[in-house]
Amino acid sequence: MPERVDFWGIPHTWGPPELYAYGIMGLASLVLLFRLYQAVSLWWRLGRAEKRWDQLHIRIWRLIQYAIVQVRVLSQRYPGIMHVALAWAFFVFLWGTILATIHSHFIGFLYGHTYLVYKLALDVFTAIFIGGAILAAYRRYVLRPRRLTLAPRFTYSLVLIVVIVLGGLSVESTRLAVERPEWAWWMPAGWLVAQLWLATGASDATLLDWHFGLWFFHLLSVALLFVTLPQSTMLHVITGPLNVFFSKLDRPMGRLAPQPQTASGEPLFVTSLRDLTWKQLLDSEACTECGRCQDACPAFAAGTPLSPKELMLNIRTALRRDGPQLLQRGNGANGVPALVGEVVQDAVLWSCTTCGACVRECPVLIEHIDTMVDMRRQLVNEGRMDSMLQEALANLGRYGNSFGQSERVRGRWAQGFDPPIKDARKESVEYLWFVGDYASYSATLSDITRKTAEVFQKLGLDFGILYEGERNAGNDVRRVGEEGLYEMLVHRNTAVLSRCSFKAIVTTDPHSYNTLKNEYPPEVLDGRPVLHYTELLDQLLMTGALKFSHRLGYTVTYSDPCYLGRYNGVYDAPRRLILATGCQLVEMPRCGDRAACCGAGGGRIWMEEQAVQERPSEARIREAAALEGVQALVVTCPKDVTMYRDAVKTTGYEPRLAVKELMELVHAAL
Amino acid sequence: MHIVVPVKLVPDLVEELVIDASGCALDPDTLRLQLNEFDGHAIEQAILLKERGGGQVTVIAPDLEGVDDVLYTAAAKGADRLIKLCDHFGQAVNNHAMARAVAEVIKPLQPDLVLTGVQSHSDLDGSIGPLLAGYLAMPYVGYIAGVTLSDGRATVRKEYPGGLVAELEVTLPAVLGIQAADQPPRYVAFSRIRQAMKSATIEEQTVAALDTSGGPAVARMYKPEVAARATMLDGKPDEVADQLVALFRELGVL
Repeated sequence: MPERVDFWGIPHTWGPPELYAYGIMGLASLVLLFRLYQAVSLWWRLGRAEKRWDQLHIRIWRLIQYAIVQVRVLSQRYPGIMHVALAWAFFVFLWGTILATIHSHFIGFLYGHTYLVYKLALDVFTAIFIGGAILAAYRRYVLRPRRLTLAPRFTYSLVLIVVIVLGGLSVESTRLAVERPEWAWWMPAGWLVAQLWLATGASDATLLDWHFGLWFFHLLSVALLFVTLPQSTMLHVITGPLNVFFSKLDRPMGRLAPQPQTASGEPLFVTSLRDLTWKQLLDSEACTECGRCQDACPAFAAGTPLSPKELMLNIRTALRRDGPQLLQRGNGANGVPALVGEVVQDAVLWSCTTCGACVRECPVLIEHIDTMVDMRRQLVNEGRMDSMLQEALANLGRYGNSFGQSERVRGRWAQGFDPPIKDARKESVEYLWFVGDYASYSATLSDITRKTAEVFQKLGLDFGILYEGERNAGNDVRRVGEEGLYEMLVHRNTAVLSRCSFKAIVTTDPHSYNTLKNEYPPEVLDGRPVLHYTELLDQLLMTGALKFSHRLGYTVTYSDPCYLGRYNGVYDAPRRLILATGCQLVEMPRCGDRAACCGAGGGRIWMEEQAVQERPSEARIREAAALEGVQALVVTCPKDVTMYRDAVKTTGYEPRLAVKELMELVHAAL
Repeated sequence: MHIVVPVKLVPDLVEELVIDASGCALDPDTLRLQLNEFDGHAIEQAILLKERGGGQVTVIAPDLEGVDDVLYTAAAKGADRLIKLCDHFGQAVNNHAMARAVAEVIKPLQPDLVLTGVQSHSDLDGSIGPLLAGYLAMPYVGYIAGVTLSDGRATVRKEYPGGLVAELEVTLPAVLGIQAADQPPRYVAFSRIRQAMKSATIEEQTVAALDTSGGPAVARMYKPEVAARATMLDGKPDEVADQLVALFRELGVL
């Protein structure tokens, strides 16, 4: 009967094989644990405290999703298949080892068919591993995508795991070549290799010698993996799952953590590694350098100094280089490069549009934007910003809008409506329309803002606006890092909102939408919904209150605004509306949660333009224009209209491609 | 080194200006005030000098709407002492009166340097710097873009029309009219202003009745009135030039 035999064919010349096999591996494990402790203690002891232990069941579920099944890894075909081939094979090998240990020391069960299925599984995954390794080598040495770190340390890891797996296969094959059992085909990979051994015509004794040598080599190579793991790129097999496990659960993507505070309640600014939380430091250690974030980053594509991957790696480098010194000597450590400014340059931080593409892509759930904003807060605190941003913030502080116009003219666009647009501060309304800065003040957008009011009136909605009572909602003020100003704006808006009677807030601006919905004090809303106008109109479409009388018949494509799509998951409502206006919708290659950013978010629209190769908005226009027969790029964000109407001119696509706010289509089709 | 910066609050031109019932002044009820832009540069220059060479910076402002914000913002930038001039500032005050009042406050402070904004858009009776220098019996240099201090002397960069720049040495104490600080005024984060509100105190000093003599008496204040329509000349450049010459002849200019 087939059966697993412990230490088959291993001579006892050096004493019982258990002794030195377990001895070597035990020693290697101790080294591994010690070096892991050194690595972990850096981020664990250096970083500020942060609670990430709650809701264990969700954390374990995330571990299964992202670390074991690896759904994010699989979201890209080639690298996904490549990685899971290697990872899943190692999971199976790990289970193989665990089951073998149980079999030898606790309950023997690897007999007969159970044993054969066990061996078959290990063999099949050996083959899968080899496939994955070939894909990895081809990608790393032939395709060489730009996003990968092509450093020898990755080659070391790849070679080592290949050596380990091929070592295991060789051991099995030499055993099969000696045993030649009738069930050998249950171990197809091993048996195939065994044919090579048999073809050499070597004697059983020679094969046994080879078997022993290979077995010992295999043992040493696994020990080497253990010993070098904390210093090698394989560390990600520990830090990756840890990072997934400790990923944030306390808030949605659209809610930033408030500014940290010192023990005495003063705002705490990030000046050194010690001011980051242990989880923020772990983020940097967890980075696998896969570069998916960099591929998705609009700032990187534009040629700015920002790469989300490099950001994480710079923090990691600083952590490993300066961490021990900071731990020993505290903040008094001299000569340690400043985190903000030296480790991470100002220009890198100011390049981010906070579009969230990096966060969406990261297979190990790194939270780039939270750390980015924490560091921006320090820049703002020191006044390190360009003059345009400074002026915008000063205007926002003084007038509540970035345009530097009086708040008294905020509602000027609303003049001349019959019936007049209600003042929600004086009358009860069903829908309180939070207009936002751009829709209120931008001369080029007032037409769309007025059309929005016309549509609302035609639909018979009971709505009103706050007129000069409204201030910028603060979404991008917060993401710029001006937390104090953000709090002031929230305070002003909530003071007005709390005196208004309304059933829901509606806005055309995804940025206002995000902060109102996710970040404003919950008592302001008191359970009442915040709706993007596409959600509201979609609801009315469902109930039949919204009926279109014209079919527009255009062929259009749609660009999901970051703060509507990726941040808040509103993908279907605008699409249903587009179709309802009688337009045909063609999707761009980057759509839905992978939609590309226009480049305006996170306060970028207020900053001086950097030297770029290609503006994100222009890249997006080219993407839309490349679609056959598409007449218009439809957007649902005032900033998008501004950005893309510029970009369609500068790229020369203006006559061919129109930029349409979806509200304009609704207005025309009504 | 003690640097004193007296500042003015001036109408914010973002708002529409309204002339009061008398027809001689702006309606104070509709006015929104802000720090005179050049005074912002004077504060910045003072802070820069303090950062470079040490010393103390005192900022003086009249008690008008928004003055606390202005003073606390200055404190957040690094000003050490904040003085608010109380009473009598509700009415339109000319620079002669301001200069007399401020001079009385400044004298006991015995400053080494007084920095003011070189001008403001509300100056109807000349800029305040020379008046102040007169009352303080100190030398005055205006249109300054850059100050360095050494051994009781200030080396200043004075800008002249036509793109000329002169470097002058001034013996201290002196009054300087600042056109631009060495660096643009810095941004002060809200959290810093909030901290300054907790830690800094504003001293209130009551000034004696204001003496506005020496300033102009405004007979009428009004918005620009639409004058006779301009005539547009059409045609090719040569033709337009001929028409222009003919017009000039007609008007007796040529």
